[in-house]
Amino acid sequence: MIFGKHARAASRSLLALGMGLALFAAPQAATAANPAAASAALAEQAQVDDAAVAAEAQASEASAPAAPIDRMKPTEGKGMPVAKGLGLQDQYSKLGGYGAWIHDAVLMPIITVISLFVLFLLIWVVARYNRRANPVASKTSHNTLIEVIWILVPVLILAGIAVPSIDLLAKQFKPAGADALTVKVTGNQWNWSYTYPDNGEFELVSNMLNLPNYPTINNGVRVVKTDPSDGPAQLEVDNRLVLPVGEPIRMQITASDVIHSFAVPSLWFKLDAVPGRINEKTLQIDEPGVYYGQCSELCGPKHGYMPIAIEALPRDEYNAWVLKQAGGVIDGQDEAGQAADDAAGAEADAPAEGEAAQTESQANDA
Amino acid sequence: MATTAPPESIPAHSDDHAHDDHDHKPAFFARWFMSTNHKDIGTLYLIFAIFAGLIGGAFSGMMRVELAEPGIQYLDTFARWFGAVDPDFNATLHTWNVLITAHGLIMVFFMVMPAIIGGFGNWFVPLMIGAPDMAFPRMNNISFWMTVAGFCSLLISAFVPGGLGIGSGVGWTVYAPLSTYGSQGPSTDFAIFALHLAGAASIMGAINFITTILNMRAPGMTIHKMPLFVWSVLVTAFLLLLALPVLAAAITMLITDRNFGTTFFDPAGGGDPVLYQHLFWFFGHPEVYIMILPGFGIISHIVATFSKKPVFGYLGMAYAMVAIGVVGFIVWAHHMYTTGMSVNTKMYFTAATMVIAVPTGIKIFSWVATMWGGSLEFKSPMVWAMGFIFLFTVGGVTGVVLANGGVDDVLHDTYYVVAHFHYVLSLGAVTALFAGFYYWFPKMSGRMHSEFLSHLHFWVFFVGVNTIFFPQHFLGLQGMPRRYPDYAEAYAYWNEISTIGYMIMAASLVIWFANIIYAFTAGKKAEDNYWGEGATTLEWTLSSPPPFHQFETLPVIDEKAVH
Amino acid sequence: MIALIAAAAMLGLGYASVPLYRLFCQVTGFGGTTQRVTEAEAQTVAVASKTISVRFDANVERGFPWEFRPTQTTDTVTIGARDMTVYVAKNTSDTPITGTATFNVEPAYVGKYFNKVQCFCFTEQTLRAGQEMRMPVLYYVDPAILEDPEARDVEQITLSYTFHPIAGETANGLDRTASGS
Repeated sequence: MIFGKHARAASRSLLALGMGLALFAAPQAATAANPAAASAALAEQAQVDDAAVAAEAQASEASAPAAPIDRMKPTEGKGMPVAKGLGLQDQYSKLGGYGAWIHDAVLMPIITVISLFVLFLLIWVVARYNRRANPVASKTSHNTLIEVIWILVPVLILAGIAVPSIDLLAKQFKPAGADALTVKVTGNQWNWSYTYPDNGEFELVSNMLNLPNYPTINNGVRVVKTDPSDGPAQLEVDNRLVLPVGEPIRMQITASDVIHSFAVPSLWFKLDAVPGRINEKTLQIDEPGVYYGQCSELCGPKHGYMPIAIEALPRDEYNAWVLKQAGGVIDGQDEAGQAADDAAGAEADAPAEGEAAQTESQANDA
Repeated sequence: MATTAPPESIPAHSDDHAHDDHDHKPAFFARWFMSTNHKDIGTLYLIFAIFAGLIGGAFSGMMRVELAEPGIQYLDTFARWFGAVDPDFNATLHTWNVLITAHGLIMVFFMVMPAIIGGFGNWFVPLMIGAPDMAFPRMNNISFWMTVAGFCSLLISAFVPGGLGIGSGVGWTVYAPLSTYGSQGPSTDFAIFALHLAGAASIMGAINFITTILNMRAPGMTIHKMPLFVWSVLVTAFLLLLALPVLAAAITMLITDRNFGTTFFDPAGGGDPVLYQHLFWFFGHPEVYIMILPGFGIISHIVATFSKKPVFGYLGMAYAMVAIGVVGFIVWAHHMYTTGMSVNTKMYFTAATMVIAVPTGIKIFSWVATMWGGSLEFKSPMVWAMGFIFLFTVGGVTGVVLANGGVDDVLHDTYYVVAHFHYVLSLGAVTALFAGFYYWFPKMSGRMHSEFLSHLHFWVFFVGVNTIFFPQHFLGLQGMPRRYPDYAEAYAYWNEISTIGYMIMAASLVIWFANIIYAFTAGKKAEDNYWGEGATTLEWTLSSPPPFHQFETLPVIDEKAVH
Repeated sequence: MIALIAAAAMLGLGYASVPLYRLFCQVTGFGGTTQRVTEAEAQTVAVASKTISVRFDANVERGFPWEFRPTQTTDTVTIGARDMTVYVAKNTSDTPITGTATFNVEPAYVGKYFNKVQCFCFTEQTLRAGQEMRMPVLYYVDPAILEDPEARDVEQITLSYTFHPIAGETANGLDRTASGS
């Protein structure tokens, strides 16, 4: 009774307070903010809608950067977070769909039911066993059967979860074949560099595009939304990681200074970049598109400004892209290339024996 | 006079007072600055925790206003507060990392732990086991003051240079190599030293609790008759004793890596940064149980008291806590799923982590079973306790999601993790703290608080924290990473809701303080056992507040004593 | 007191974890740690009929003024047979610099089958200003890999090295901290 009265009073005043705060907070947050930044946000919003159309018309004109950028325009809502989104990003990798299924179809229903079950039990005891409804408390404090049940049932539920979960892990760790494309990702403070050892060892440095109304974050990099192919601010970069679709790619991740983490939510991919060692994981992208991610291990002040953008292309377009890069070659994986490599290795063997001794003597000198 | 305590663990000065009927309270300075009285030290811990919590909470408020909308709005101002002169953009952004670091460290080491173990543990473990005081009163005192010194060291760290800005911006996990060659300047050294002091204090506290509980129980109180709160503190103390030295070793190696040219975690000298993470989480995972287990104990007492029933499945409850403590030591690497572990390691940690859900489930269902068939009275502590049960369940089930190594690939280091651990800590441990506060505040102060304000506090707090943290699940599922001062436009909506939630939560704290002021100015005088027949542990046999020295004649527990 | 001893023991364990972890990695190949074997041990290994692809990867820590690269990207080797690959390092600065290389193999669980007989990573390396040096690695893949159900499917092993300045060198002008763009 006391409870009911208080609860009603509490909920009334709470409602009033909550509404008051909400009314108070929303305009305050907008006005209290640095006006420049606020307007920048608005401007950005407008750009998201109009930039594509407007910029496409004048792509070849003065406002565009020196050379028009030939790259894919991202699809709104694909490979990036969506406003007011409630669930996982849509998945576009071979195992992403399975992972998302485990989350959406196995884990979410189970945890929702458990939470609601506990909530229901609480409401039930409140209604049934309050002081008025049940003035005399029972003294029951043991019931072996029920205790065994609430050990066994969770064990069974967990075992049920473990089956697909372990299966997903096993699939994730299936190594890519010997002929799979290998791409090396290096995390730096605060950008990513991408190396293509199978395509002529060329390297791209990928910086976030600068943001309007911000101090310059990356020197010599243009501002976002100055090209029709630009995706969302804070996620778009100057040089995307270009990858082929439909084939397993051996992603090798390392770092040159502190620990970073290479993460792309829509591809179900996250792997730490640890200095001094290489980490490896297979990635297979299902369909062409631009997929965004962000550094996911605290790495210093600009941790928030080293996004990842992956542009996935069909194999032939990927090959064409590689050939356009300085030093890009495409035969690194075919039979001839492999044979050449072997020959080079054999040649290297003979003189190297002598050098080994030389190396050691030098080490001794030092 | 029968006693279970060995002679050497009785405080030396108790002889002086033994024949005196009156409380001999020392003068102000001696009482509060050189205190050896467990209740006074407990009070000091609680006041300190409230103070530290306000600072840590203020830091989180600074974070939430910055996150209210995309862009960098306030960090430049905050950087100046910390003493930065004309900060460049890096120094401005660095301030964000200082906030997250300080918030994490303060809330873990200087708010939750001092309040729940130092505060309630010190106050009520001796009362509940019928002991006159803690086993080592002077060590108890130095534990407290070392915690204060650690807090000062942490505050200093926020105002001295730490690399690219003022303060230490390495995260509460202090991962190498960002914390070694990645952040020059004395700030991170101060932060690490703060952990040393807090850690040493907690180790001493743990030794004190273990000794007290094992040696100073009143005659007749066997280990299986101990109140569950005492059980929970005992398990916690063992966790502290085994986990904190590992942290101490790890951060000492960080210090030497930083200052003396060692390379424990530096790949250049053959060290491994991932080893630091193993060591940190070998401490860090038990640490989260250190923060929540005493809360379990408090909730058990409250649920039993207001159901007017003994705790359901007492032994199951006690050993569930032991099980949680033991399993807590073998699951640490689930914090490291993305570091490049092999498939077998990941499978093992996935399976082991999920096992923890079983003893946790036992606790949740035992609380419900305690209420089942009871005669429930919804006084303020009970409302908080029921809130705890629900919120902890929600935090627990998201833990089951995160336990899956394959699913963690997409959720690791996102706001989903932030939401998860705030549901179990901010909404779990802190709710348990408030439950305990309302349960015992009249016992400690001698004054009754306002039931109306307590209920109001609960509902505003409940709505506030859920509004803060529930949307963060959505942000995490959408991929928003942790520790970001700025975010893409798509994340704006739920972040704004979350910030509004923070303001509601902050309003609830105002109600709380109003309640404390009310209690001290207009509150009724508390009776010995103001909660009535359901409250059966030994502290309810004493006056409110208890005498300065209690149990000069040890109580004897008979066969029928309730747990 | 027992509690005190326990605390001290855990503290000791914390420190001991560093050498223990290294030993653990070396023995089990955990985390992709390769094995080091002597010439004599290498002679006793039976050569299998199957081949495996090996990829060579090279990195330097940021700001370390060396160029460092493998002379071949991949190589196909017979399991059990000794093979050699050569890395090339060049000091691009105008002072002599000593470096040391860390290494691991991926997939991590084949570390215990990857045996090095001779490697530049066993010792520190000093390069004079502008000097270029060829650095050989003599290695073989243990045929036991074919018995391991987990590692049997691996078609390619990556051997990765990262050169770092030796400890103490950092103080001598090599700035390892973030430059702040």
